[in-house]
Amino acid sequence: MRFSGLLHLYRVRLRSRLVQEALATIGIAAGVALVFAALIANASLTGSVQQLTSGIIGDARLQLISRGPAGIDERVVDTVARLDGVHAAAPIIEQRANVVGPTGRASVTLVGGDPGFAHLGGALVHNFTGASLARQRAFAIPAPMASRLGLGLYRQATIETGIGTSTLLLGAILQRDQIGPLVHSPVAIMPILAAQQITGMGGRVSRVYIQPAPGRDAAVRRELQPIAEAAGANVRSADSDIAVFNQAAYPTQQSTQMFAVLAAAVGFLFAACAVLLTVGQRRALATSLRTEGYVTRSIVWVLVFDALVLGTAGVALGLLLGDELSRHVFSGVPDYLATGFPLGDQRIVSASSIAIATAGGLVVACAAVLIPLVDIIAGPAARIPTELVPRWQHPAVAGAGAACLAFAGVIALVAPSWALVGLIALVLGLLLLLPVLVRAAGAALSVVVDRLRSPGAALASWQLKSAPGALLAIALTATGALAVFAAVAIGGARGDLVRGLNGSGADVDRNADVWVTFRGGTSAFAVTPFNVTRRQLAGLRSTDGIAGVGLYRGSWLDLGNRRTWVQAPPAGAPAPVPPSQLRAGGLAAATSGLRAGGAVVLSEAVADQQHVGVGDTITLPTPRPTRMRVAGISTNLGWASGAIIMNAADYARAWDDAKPSAMQLRLRPGASPTAVAAAVRASLGEASALDVQTQAQRLALHRDATRQGLIRLSQITVLVLISAMLAMAVAMIGVIWQRRASIARLKVDGIGTGELWRSLLIESTVLLGSGALAGAATGLLGQLLLSRALEAITGFPVVYVTALPIAVGILGLVTVVAVAIIALPGWAATRVAPAAPTAS
Amino acid sequence: MLALADVVKHYRDGDGGTVRALDGVSLNVASGELVALYGPSGSGKTTLLSIVAALFAPDRGEVRVDGRAVSGLTGKEAAGYRLRQVGYIPQAPGLMPGVPAVDNAALKLFDLRRSPREARREVAPLLHRLGLGERLKHRPEQLSAGERQRVAIARALAAGPKLVLADEPTGALDSVRSREVLQLLKELCDEQQVAMLLATHDPQAAAYADEAIALIDGQLVAHVPDVGAGLAGTR
Repeated sequence: MRFSGLLHLYRVRLRSRLVQEALATIGIAAGVALVFAALIANASLTGSVQQLTSGIIGDARLQLISRGPAGIDERVVDTVARLDGVHAAAPIIEQRANVVGPTGRASVTLVGGDPGFAHLGGALVHNFTGASLARQRAFAIPAPMASRLGLGLYRQATIETGIGTSTLLLGAILQRDQIGPLVHSPVAIMPILAAQQITGMGGRVSRVYIQPAPGRDAAVRRELQPIAEAAGANVRSADSDIAVFNQAAYPTQQSTQMFAVLAAAVGFLFAACAVLLTVGQRRALATSLRTEGYVTRSIVWVLVFDALVLGTAGVALGLLLGDELSRHVFSGVPDYLATGFPLGDQRIVSASSIAIATAGGLVVACAAVLIPLVDIIAGPAARIPTELVPRWQHPAVAGAGAACLAFAGVIALVAPSWALVGLIALVLGLLLLLPVLVRAAGAALSVVVDRLRSPGAALASWQLKSAPGALLAIALTATGALAVFAAVAIGGARGDLVRGLNGSGADVDRNADVWVTFRGGTSAFAVTPFNVTRRQLAGLRSTDGIAGVGLYRGSWLDLGNRRTWVQAPPAGAPAPVPPSQLRAGGLAAATSGLRAGGAVVLSEAVADQQHVGVGDTITLPTPRPTRMRVAGISTNLGWASGAIIMNAADYARAWDDAKPSAMQLRLRPGASPTAVAAAVRASLGEASALDVQTQAQRLALHRDATRQGLIRLSQITVLVLISAMLAMAVAMIGVIWQRRASIARLKVDGIGTGELWRSLLIESTVLLGSGALAGAATGLLGQLLLSRALEAITGFPVVYVTALPIAVGILGLVTVVAVAIIALPGWAATRVAPAAPTAS
Repeated sequence: MLALADVVKHYRDGDGGTVRALDGVSLNVASGELVALYGPSGSGKTTLLSIVAALFAPDRGEVRVDGRAVSGLTGKEAAGYRLRQVGYIPQAPGLMPGVPAVDNAALKLFDLRRSPREARREVAPLLHRLGLGERLKHRPEQLSAGERQRVAIARALAAGPKLVLADEPTGALDSVRSREVLQLLKELCDEQQVAMLLATHDPQAAAYADEAIALIDGQLVAHVPDVGAGLAGTR
């Protein structure tokens, strides 16, 4: 068949089915949009770290990275530069800091680079490291940040670091044409000398980036090893931060991907529902073409052309919607990750994201158009079935569904580490059982109808049992069921995770009545060390209401590709080991071990990676490698890469750094935390870079951090629910709209408009409600599996509580909202004028 | 029972011209009388039945059923009128797919506040009478065209209407099935004293009527009492 023929056939048929095609297009667009937005969100998270890393490292391929925040001796740079095979070596200072402007404060990664970066060519740093600038006390920030902080070029600005506050000149505002997408990165760039001065790292550097001569990487790496050992550094590939970040972001990425898959399934079911609205017309067309002598290949071409036009329109609209969604809904980055990594909020739209979303949309369009017509296309011309009777209500299908559910239940009980397999089985079981469920809902309504005198209920019951509507009914129910399942399972698991994380944070927070930490983005983790003088300490100890001051130390420690969170509470802390987080080893033994010194509590993932258990010893790759005994195994305390707990004195020795990252103030009985916090704030002064928080404020900070860290999950849950409600409502409206002819026929028999409207609402409620009910019920099992999976795979603290209120709430919400949306178009459909069917 | 007086209905056609579907039609049908309204396609038969069924109003003229004017009924009143007083047999049965024959036939009774059980019990004898006693639980997809049409007839008659309007009820049937259906309608008309207006273009259908009227281009051109009488002998 010629293309012009296909086009003509499509065009002449379009007018009569414009509304259905538009609904189908919207359906596909919704699915594509959800997938595309989730893919952009994930790509942006990883991509922002990749961009920033490559913006700094340029052509460097190796690095020496300090094991602690105090850095390494800068003389190592010359040693490295003189090595045979090293083409270029450039040091860098990297510290957490805050930039303060007239209209705000931004938490940044402060990067101090030297002229050596001119050789490496990293887009971000080399512009600001010219030799002429090397001795300037000036810095540069990206334009959007400057605008947010109200900072203009050559204006003085305050930079807060662990040693205090400094005033520097804003010497450059970096524009997009200079640094590309890095313009969204939260960084402040300055000459290394200035950075060393304001961070108190005189004569020290955080990393040395190295560009070996071509083909000399392995040899240079070997030569670097002894230098690194002597300096208290690690040798890594220059872009190793990307792998470290990916490890830390793994739970976020996994959960976002899982949500994206569920969102895609719901979205594409939405699309399938919408396309199914046009099945009747296409079956009639295919039948007619066969009757007129078209060969199978020509019929397939006609239908494929239909699918491609539909798919292309849906994909184009979906990509636009997804793009908007990613700009306005998925735009933020999780704060907890930004604590350990320099994350930007740039949006990265990769070709693979576009390709996956496009391919998905086209495949769904083709499948939804062609599958319901397989019998016509493949069957003998003489035996074309007149209508589509689904065979999915076969008992074997339901049996397979029940088996899947049983399998999922067994996994939940005995093999939680296989929970993801269990989840897949659960979803499969849910979908396989739905045809039987739809039939059961119809039967149940029949039983009720027999006791009622409601023609509306009777009509609804008949419609549910009617074969032509069954396929669409199953698709509609599946959409609702899957969406509610996803929302209940993920919402419930999210709740379990929130409880676990909040519990973990609270255990730590309760060690002090008032906390003093470095102000800014790292405050919740207390990992930025700061200077505190003896006089300041004495001042604090003599403040009214303060019974004692403990020095808490914490930072990050890279173990392989894990950036672990080190917590080092003072030995006198009431609970140095968070009681609710210990998984192995007795609490009393672990606590006394930690207090006595020389012992650590490791999180499960770290212990597994290092192949150690309680009672074993481990040598930590700290600036001064330290051998310690494992006193207990804990959860990961909410940090995906794992955590290590030791006492503050051990930390000071291992890191050769006595600077605290928090001060824990314990109050005298009766003293008001708020009043003491205010007094401490006053004694530190307005300009202090330190933040003073009561225990209650810190608990709230952790709760906020938890909520923000899991915000992507909440957003996707809400989007899935909204999509599902719209999907079900739009598909149901399409079904109702197509039924106007039969409604008109019923009106000829005198059936009133009110009764017809009631029947539509009853049918919609039963259909959508039964799907939502099935989704909610299986969602509760899904929550158990998901929580077990999160606990087993990520090591996050999880406190399981059955999410029955969430399930009931979502079930009610989805059903009520979808039916409410249907009510008005349903009413309009029943206003159709009575008309008798004609023989034609 | 049914009285039409000077009923006029005009339509606009696609070219802006006027189609005179009904042009001053006056007609009376008594209880127990079967009147055949025959004429070619497009002669205005369906329009006339639709106006009598209060599916839409005439441009002019009056339609009275059992002394009550039905032309100006509101939508709700018209629905009640069709539910209680009129049985309408359309050209195509228009049954609800997937729904058993007995429920399809009992549809009007549900809206008359019978429970489904009562409604089924009430309509079952009628279906037996129509030869569908063995097909009560069959769905329309499992019935032949003639059986489906008989279910539609049962639905029209189930609520005991005073007036039955049949629009080409045999149009989709073969001649044997047509005769069966027409015979049945005639018997029901006689037994239940129902006034029946039967639109058809089939002279054989007119043969079952007490009176046959030709409707050509919207006008009753002749009362043809001899058509029925003449063909009655062939029954």
